[in-house]
Amino acid sequence: MTRIDGLTILVPVDVSTAESPALDVIDHLGTVEVVLLGYFPVPDQAEPAMVRDQHGAEAAARLDAVAADHGGLAETLVFTHDREATIDRIADEYDCDAVLTGGSTGQSAGVERVLVPLRGDVNLDRILAVVADLLLAGEETATLFHAVPADGDPTQGELLLAGAVDRLVEYGVDRDRVDWRLSEGEDPSADIVALGAEYDLVVLGETEPSLVDRIIGSFLGGVVDALETPALVVRDVE
Amino acid sequence: MSAEGGELERTLGFLEAMTLGGGTMIGAGIFILPGIAAESAGPASAISYAIAGFVALLAALSLSELATGMPIAGGSYHYVNRALGGLFGSVVGWGMWTGLMFASAFYMIGFGQYLVEPIPFLDGRVFVVGLGLVGLILLLGVNYYGTEESSAFQNVTIGAETLIILVFVAVGVFFIDPANLDPFAPFGAGGVVATTGIVFISFLGFEIIATVAGEIKNPSRIIPLSMILSVVLVTILYVLVMLVSTGVIPFQSLGESPIPVSDVAVVYLGPAGVVAIVFAAIIAAISSSNSSILAASRVIYAMGRDGVVTDWLNVSHPRFYTPHRAIAATGGVTTILILVGLEVETIIALLAEAASFSFLVAYSLVHVSLVVFRRADPDDYEPSFALPRPLYPAVPILGVVLSLVVVSQMATVVVLIGSGIVALGLVWYAAYARGRVVNEGLLGEAIRGRPGEPYRVVVPVANPATQRGLLRLAAASAHANADGRGAELVAVNVTPVAHPSPFQNVEADRDEHQRDLLQNARDIASEMDVTLRTRAVVAADVGTAILDVLDEEAADEVVLGWDGVFDRDGHRFGATVDPVVHEAPCDVSLVDLRRETVGTPLGLVAEDANAPVVAHQAVEFAAVEDTVPTLLTVQSPDDGGDTDPETRGRAVVTEAATAAGLDPDEYEVQVVVADVDVGQAVVEAAAEYDTVCVGFSEHTERSHVPVGAVTERVARDVAGTVALVRGATAGGDGTQ
Repeated sequence: MTRIDGLTILVPVDVSTAESPALDVIDHLGTVEVVLLGYFPVPDQAEPAMVRDQHGAEAAARLDAVAADHGGLAETLVFTHDREATIDRIADEYDCDAVLTGGSTGQSAGVERVLVPLRGDVNLDRILAVVADLLLAGEETATLFHAVPADGDPTQGELLLAGAVDRLVEYGVDRDRVDWRLSEGEDPSADIVALGAEYDLVVLGETEPSLVDRIIGSFLGGVVDALETPALVVRDVE
Repeated sequence: MSAEGGELERTLGFLEAMTLGGGTMIGAGIFILPGIAAESAGPASAISYAIAGFVALLAALSLSELATGMPIAGGSYHYVNRALGGLFGSVVGWGMWTGLMFASAFYMIGFGQYLVEPIPFLDGRVFVVGLGLVGLILLLGVNYYGTEESSAFQNVTIGAETLIILVFVAVGVFFIDPANLDPFAPFGAGGVVATTGIVFISFLGFEIIATVAGEIKNPSRIIPLSMILSVVLVTILYVLVMLVSTGVIPFQSLGESPIPVSDVAVVYLGPAGVVAIVFAAIIAAISSSNSSILAASRVIYAMGRDGVVTDWLNVSHPRFYTPHRAIAATGGVTTILILVGLEVETIIALLAEAASFSFLVAYSLVHVSLVVFRRADPDDYEPSFALPRPLYPAVPILGVVLSLVVVSQMATVVVLIGSGIVALGLVWYAAYARGRVVNEGLLGEAIRGRPGEPYRVVVPVANPATQRGLLRLAAASAHANADGRGAELVAVNVTPVAHPSPFQNVEADRDEHQRDLLQNARDIASEMDVTLRTRAVVAADVGTAILDVLDEEAADEVVLGWDGVFDRDGHRFGATVDPVVHEAPCDVSLVDLRRETVGTPLGLVAEDANAPVVAHQAVEFAAVEDTVPTLLTVQSPDDGGDTDPETRGRAVVTEAATAAGLDPDEYEVQVVVADVDVGQAVVEAAAEYDTVCVGFSEHTERSHVPVGAVTERVARDVAGTVALVRGATAGGDGTQ
């Protein structure tokens, strides 16, 4: 596994509302590429072209304002029935490695501490590559985190985390900037949400939603929605 | 899709399109109508469903082509409006809108019937209508406020509904009593056709796929596939349901039931089957009614966009972004239609038939529109799915004929209602829309045949010293070929750039240095009575860019400047010119301007395919200074025959001139007799002319660009302006 050369992240912004999102976090990430996606959610009932006719100019102005606030980002505006499909498509089009979600805390003074929950081998290579790029581009420290399943073996979790730390060091990250935590709590997602509050950014791996996820909502979606901290979701493109 | 306005996400794949089309179609129609159908056609009503399905399939085929040609909102209304103009657009728009409301009211009353019957105490018409209204109001509420994405839920319910019908059919087949199917058609063919008009409503819904064409991924594949497949599958399903229903229960008793399918199911599936069927019927009614309300609002939106109705109706809600006014208007009228059910006992059949009428009229006009689009062939109509040869024109012709046959068998009252709606469309157009609707339609162009495309001459310009002369010659060419269809000059300036980006074209357009050129070109164009357009292109390769422009403009001729130098750096005429001369699909004139004046042109007529083009070109150039050109041919002194060289020469020239459509008084003839050095003779004869037209010789020496020895000699040694000419058909790979 090699490093991702030039990390690109996608930042989706809902341009249908007047309140501009708190995206301060992207100013603190160092030298990463940012693509701004302004999406306008169109209800099933409406024709996207109709909403564009009426709100296109306003939406474009909002998006321009956000882009200008953060130093003139690359931007694209989409009217969509399906936010997720649009994020996926645009992320593919611009070759984005990760997607940033805003979190609910608003202003952030800087990004110093990054939480990286790891679930297992799924998508692990890409998550670590993104974390490495992030750390090498900025000054953050990272905490790798793994929740051991109720009937699981803690040593396996330790092995996973230690291996991950080694990997980051191989990428050239200073070992001092990385530590790890193992949790044996009942509810991993609650642990992540609680712990996330102490951090400035959470980096999570995207996983293919299972059939259950599609029907009752995904684990990831639940965590990301509950997090107050901005989250960077690493795409699983393989 | 401009970057400025924002993109529109295409979110519907094949499965979504199928569920959308199928889910809308499998509605109250199949749960309510088997009773009415059996009553009026007996077991043969299965054939009515098959005919209705076939009529729908024809419409689906025509709509598929139109939808892939113009994937924007509006469906049938939009195509008819474009093709046949605002008058028919208004008729179809109003027809579809009212038709969808009839359908929606029909679905909701059916919904009421299925809910009421299983609960015996709550009987009666008032209750049915009341339930229908409650259902409608809920739907309107949901649509007014907008929903979070619910496609997963929809897929599950539509899947369940389809599964229940499949079980109904699969099990029911074993319970068919052949005695019930005899006589198969107690009311004869007339009954079967008349029933087709009633059950046609069961097929409304496939069109929604065309209506949302702008949101479908890979539209060229998925639109035709999902439309055709959903109609075919649903037809088969309906025919089977009808056969099972009339096979299990005698059609007379089936006809008396307001909930026929459930009555059939109870025979072999028991109470559980009834619950399942009621569940499916309710789901089907809701999903169909919902789609109809949405489709109606989209039709209104498209009509507002085109100015057929006020665009007050298609404003989206400031907070929910739903087309709330269109939905409210649709809901209001639908409510009234449902309430009519309190008074009219046969409301179900009436609504079904009226909706069918509207759509049959709309689809006949869609078929006509397809023919109009094919004949007028407007620039922006490039369907990625086109009906292949035997299907076109068979599909549109059969479609119109069958629609009319079905309509003609409908009940008088329905024909009156339907005609009233058509009249409403006509009156509306006359009273409201006529002044505002800009769209004239393509009908005129279609009748006239190929549209009046002007004769188009493309002139790539780069060198300020020669552009004036080139534009003058090109304008003369265009003018001479106008022939009543108009002449157009397209001046193209290509700026070569190593890595072109799409934005640079815009910048180049505004470039300062082009102003003089444009002014210059405009003066010449107005002088010669041709219209002028200018294009600025930024491209990596100039030659390729010019070929692209020729293709896009469907040019008739290209006039290229050339410096008269042969064979330089491995190119015959030059790196830019070679590919154009070689591949241009139109007439090519390669001009080396050596004199200011055009004077009296000389056309060198050889005995080859280019001769008529050369003759014509000479006449065209002569028009610049209003002279009569000379057409010259060279003959050997003694060709062994009896005729003298002069006679032979005149025959050659006359033949070429006739082929070019020239009158004898449009040119002079000169025959030069030379034996050995033809080139020298021509050069000497050409000395007194300011302009010489000569064909690229056909008998090539396998060079990349064919130029004969005489032609090359002329181009090298003649003092006047030289134009090398080749016809569109004499070109290299560009032969068309």
